[in-house]
Amino acid sequence: MAAKPTRRVVLAAAAMLPLAAVSGCDGADVLATPPSPAADVTVLREAIAAEQLMITHYTVVLHEAGATAGSLQAALDPLLAEHRAHLAQLRSRLIVPAGGPAAPRARPSPVATVPATASGGVAFLRAAEQAAATAMLSRLRGAPASLAQLFASIGASEATHVPVLDAAAARIAR
Amino acid sequence: MSGRGAEGAPGTIPALQAALTAEHATIYGYGIVGAYLSGSAQATATDDWVAHQVARDRLEAMLRSLGAQPAAAAVAYQLPAPVRSAGEAVSLAVLLEDRVATAYLGLVALGNASIRDYGALQVQASALRGAAWRGGTVAFPGMTPAALAAPRKPA
Repeated sequence: MAAKPTRRVVLAAAAMLPLAAVSGCDGADVLATPPSPAADVTVLREAIAAEQLMITHYTVVLHEAGATAGSLQAALDPLLAEHRAHLAQLRSRLIVPAGGPAAPRARPSPVATVPATASGGVAFLRAAEQAAATAMLSRLRGAPASLAQLFASIGASEATHVPVLDAAAARIAR
Repeated sequence: MSGRGAEGAPGTIPALQAALTAEHATIYGYGIVGAYLSGSAQATATDDWVAHQVARDRLEAMLRSLGAQPAAAAVAYQLPAPVRSAGEAVSLAVLLEDRVATAYLGLVALGNASIRDYGALQVQASALRGAAWRGGTVAFPGMTPAALAAPRKPA
């Protein structure tokens, strides 16, 4: 795995460069234009925010289902666990050195849009999974190879959640 | 498809050949899978077998458009485990889809955008078929443990 640490070093070094440039020169101009993160860092942060939002959606749907959640929880828990694994893996790829630009805060979760009924919640999650899988595909272009592979794999996992949610919706309807 | 722009990219032909080789093995494997199943499960195996044949044809066309001779299928393939029952046939189908998804992730690693997109769509298709056979989902279809462990932060 010698190639992987190298990439981490390169990412870190690239982000450190503007700071190094400050020393020994008139820093005012340099500091006036803070470095923007590399494109792959930006797209990685988007993917992280999307997974955080998905986890919130699942948590809210399970909470809203409340006491009736028994079988629904059995269906949703494995999917939620996979989203948590996605989030952990995405975060492990994000290497931003101290002093680099702060990570933007995730936008407030639109929890108010999650329907309160179990059937509505499942339909909401289905649409969210479909959209997430599509969004992951849109992040492939321009991403480094290993990150593109991770996005493709996570998007595929999210696509497999759709039929699981369809089955859960069918059980609710019975 | 002219394929212009991909010829010069190192790794394109080997990755396409690797995906094609995986498809050849998968098509062979589904022949075994279908033989041990019946009813709707056999119909699903047949559908999946056809989907892999379509994917094989597409890969062969992509390789030819790049001026490469597509890798030929072997007469027979060594099965990873003996198949003597419907349960073992389903396990083989799961394994076949996992392996072909890994091969398609090799296309996702390429720089050519259209080949990368095609690889990702095939990873998705394979993950859907694999989940149906498995009766459950996985967090990282096609990703090997090594690929997942590599970028972890040092302790």
